[in-house]
Amino acid sequence: MRWANVKLILARELRDQMRDRRTMFMIAVLPVLLYPLLGMSVFQMAQFMEEKPSRVLVTGVGGLIGREDLPALLEPGQHARFDPRLFREPNQNRLLEVTVLSEEPSAPGEALADPRRKARSMVEQGAYDAAMVVPTELPDRLTEYRRAIEAGEEAPSLEVRPEIIYSTANEKSQIAFGRLYPVIENWIKAVGETNLKAAGVPAQAARPVAVGTADVAGQTKFKGAAIWSKALPVVLLLWAMTGAFYPAIDLCAGEKERGTLETLLSSPAERSEIVLGKLLTVMLFSMGTAALNLISMGLTGWLLLSKMPQFASPPPEAILWLGLALVPVAALYGALCLALAAFAKSTKEGQYYLMPLLLITMPLVIMPMTPNAELDLGNSLVPVTGIVLLLRKLLEGSYWEALRYLPVVTLVTLGCCVLAIRWAVEQFNSEAVLFRESERLDLRLWLRQVFRDRRPTPTASAAVVCGVSILMLRFVMNIAPARPLETFRDFAVLALITQLAVILAPLLILTFSLTTNPARTLLLRWPRPLTIPAAVLLALALHPAVRALQVAVMEQLYPPNEEMIKLLVQMQELFNAAPLWAVLGIVAAVPAICEELAFRGFILSGFRHLGRKWRAIIFSAIFFGLSHAILQQSIIATAVGIVIGYLAVQTASIWPGVLFHLVHNSLGVLTSRPELVQQFPALARYLGAPGENGPLYQWPSVLACSFVAIGLLAWFSLLPVAKSDEELQREEIARIRDAGPELD
Amino acid sequence: MIHARGLTKHYQDLQRGKFVAIDAIDFDASPGQIYGLLGPNGAGKTTTLRILSTVLQPTAGTATLNGYDVVAQPSMVRRQIGFMSANTAVYDRMTAWEMVEYFGRLHGMPEDELAERMERLFARLKMNDIRDRLGAKMSTGMKQKVSIARAIIHDPPIVIFDEATAGLDVLVARALLDTVAELRDHGKCVVFSTHIMREAERLCDRIAIMHRARILAEGTLDQLREQHGQVDLEELFYQLISRREEQYLREQELPAGGPLPAGEN
Repeated sequence: MRWANVKLILARELRDQMRDRRTMFMIAVLPVLLYPLLGMSVFQMAQFMEEKPSRVLVTGVGGLIGREDLPALLEPGQHARFDPRLFREPNQNRLLEVTVLSEEPSAPGEALADPRRKARSMVEQGAYDAAMVVPTELPDRLTEYRRAIEAGEEAPSLEVRPEIIYSTANEKSQIAFGRLYPVIENWIKAVGETNLKAAGVPAQAARPVAVGTADVAGQTKFKGAAIWSKALPVVLLLWAMTGAFYPAIDLCAGEKERGTLETLLSSPAERSEIVLGKLLTVMLFSMGTAALNLISMGLTGWLLLSKMPQFASPPPEAILWLGLALVPVAALYGALCLALAAFAKSTKEGQYYLMPLLLITMPLVIMPMTPNAELDLGNSLVPVTGIVLLLRKLLEGSYWEALRYLPVVTLVTLGCCVLAIRWAVEQFNSEAVLFRESERLDLRLWLRQVFRDRRPTPTASAAVVCGVSILMLRFVMNIAPARPLETFRDFAVLALITQLAVILAPLLILTFSLTTNPARTLLLRWPRPLTIPAAVLLALALHPAVRALQVAVMEQLYPPNEEMIKLLVQMQELFNAAPLWAVLGIVAAVPAICEELAFRGFILSGFRHLGRKWRAIIFSAIFFGLSHAILQQSIIATAVGIVIGYLAVQTASIWPGVLFHLVHNSLGVLTSRPELVQQFPALARYLGAPGENGPLYQWPSVLACSFVAIGLLAWFSLLPVAKSDEELQREEIARIRDAGPELD
Repeated sequence: MIHARGLTKHYQDLQRGKFVAIDAIDFDASPGQIYGLLGPNGAGKTTTLRILSTVLQPTAGTATLNGYDVVAQPSMVRRQIGFMSANTAVYDRMTAWEMVEYFGRLHGMPEDELAERMERLFARLKMNDIRDRLGAKMSTGMKQKVSIARAIIHDPPIVIFDEATAGLDVLVARALLDTVAELRDHGKCVVFSTHIMREAERLCDRIAIMHRARILAEGTLDQLREQHGQVDLEELFYQLISRREEQYLREQELPAGGPLPAGEN
């Protein structure tokens, strides 16, 4: 890697983008104009957006007017509003425009219409937003009630009540209801107070103390930080992505389209130099766009909000935190966009990828906006979400809390950046991507090709198809209506169906249709004899560590919610009640065979064609993890899947993995059954007390067993490995490259 | 200078399955010589030259340019060559001067040497009036000149032209052919691919006739005429191509597992 070349490419790309009017408009001019324009139109709109009064029809209040013994409901005079004393802020009574339904017949001699029915139809027609129907006899009943209390007699039941008529189908009607309801409540409260007074009880008796409130934010500079701490990180992330996307498309897909990419590729610049130069350009644009947006939004906001005292301006420290966060965010999005853009054949195709990218990013950005999302270890581990939550904490001024999770968020973000950059570099190294030709979409042709060009073992894409089919079927199983699991039999049937229909069936179909050598695909070869006991021993030795990891995940990382715990406890009770052999068969034996054939057989064999052993192992383990329904299980399964995948690669056989899986799952069942410790009390010394999440091994046993496990893994690593053609090819190229007389 | 041995390239193609773009071809080109690859469209010329320029990797076989291996030392290979093809365009938003300067710098040329060479090249190719013109505003001929200047700015020992005259008018094409001849006279090893017989006849010291992924005949013009007993190059070309076409069709009719190696080992 020569930095001079990277700098050259960076300088050229920057100048190139600066000369492109469309890109510059999208990422520089638009944001600068957008917010002032938006702000201005908000001001313009404000006059229309003012709170409009609701129109309310009131019936049956004739008897209330002018009555001294009951609190006033309507304002005296025209009766066009409610009494201001019924509102928290007296002038809020202007938000309810009252029309009193005339109680006289509209024409002499005509029968009086039922006021309730009339009110109902008028609200239905939309003539009024809501109506309040007061029974005409209500005032007299209330007075009778009070007299009874005054006289110390038993109070009669009232039987009549005022009623609010509204429609939830209409937003205006809902608002009217929300305004009307507290008014009538307050009036009833006032009536109650007069009743208490009549009985000689002080009015405060019903409400002896009032609640006081104090806003600590009011004393510090972070007043109003809540909105900004939510809004600014989202603006930052979205614009950082937009700012990366358009230049990336122009820099990769655009160059392909215009034919200049091949010119550059045949120059002495290395692929890594080209990628880095382009990545830095995209990053700079991403950062520039986000910064311009934030500055423009901040300035507009500051100008606008200085006229609205109820909102606060963004805190000035925000600039520092947002600036710091911008660098990794830009690197992450830059690399992602670059890889996507490199894959696209034309700018048009590139534009199509914006939507999927947005769809993946949006939940990660929006999720932290929900009030329940807190910065904790679990959320810090989620890419993007961690950054948003961390920024929020910083903007709120909770520095200590932010500092605690800063290392985790940083590590996760850096890890994602590295992966994204490597992906981008790989796209540039792949000639299939660089010289992709447009092929017409023809399903029949494609299917014929898939069958015609079958190979002994599946391709990496076939592995993805297998994994995704399993996940989709699993999802369908999950949402399909099933009867509740009341007995172990129910569970056993469901588990069997899952294993056979969701995992085994697609696996067998794909194996026999997409490969010519099913035995080699599924690694059905018999391994060296010694690997069998070694795999069993490894499962035994690794179980304590896996168990410790499981407890850490369940208790520290992502504690399950109440419902989940209840479900798990129920499940455990079902297991404990069933005969041991049945539980072992369903939980250990069947999955050990079906899941191993799928994930270590077909999927791992397919991914081996990627040419990298570890990548194949990790990808197959991720699919294995995802196929578990519960998040906590998925994490553990991914970790265990890596170990089993390693066994499968090192032994070139499915059987050690099957045994490992069998022993591992059996141990899980055995150690969580109470009778085991009861029968063999000596085990308590190794297992420790059964905790909430089942027994945890004593730490010394965890450590000792882990050492044994490492030793066994070391032994497995010494076995001669059967490499795939792609792996051999990659090694061969690396060998020539190392041996060659490279001059620089 | 250029030695290719058993150079092979396969693609996966939706319609044809495994498609062999070039099939174990051998050839050697020397300095001070123009080596012509003559063949109809789709013969495998571009794939061959893309492998030589390290933009593509061969599926099998080796090629060395000036002693460097295309697979193992791609960046050294790229320093030995100037590559120009119908697919290597000029940047729209760069002026002629900037474009040539950029590639000179990518080649790591010292600034003073670069400046001096650029002045000479711009004068020789009569490009001084388009110095500050953006690529988007250039005519095809102007772009072609910039491409040549870009390809030879670092004075490479090997220059590769892939269908370089495609789409050019007679005047521009002629000027380009003169430049190619000039390069040969300066002792460069020039590889020149074309599907136009007249160009090959006029320019090339050695010719390889390609069709359907194979080299059908190779040698100097006189050698080819002698070997095949045909004085007219066009007639000779036509005969060879038709023979290969027949053979290719026979191969296609064979069931799977025929002469084209199928599947994984």
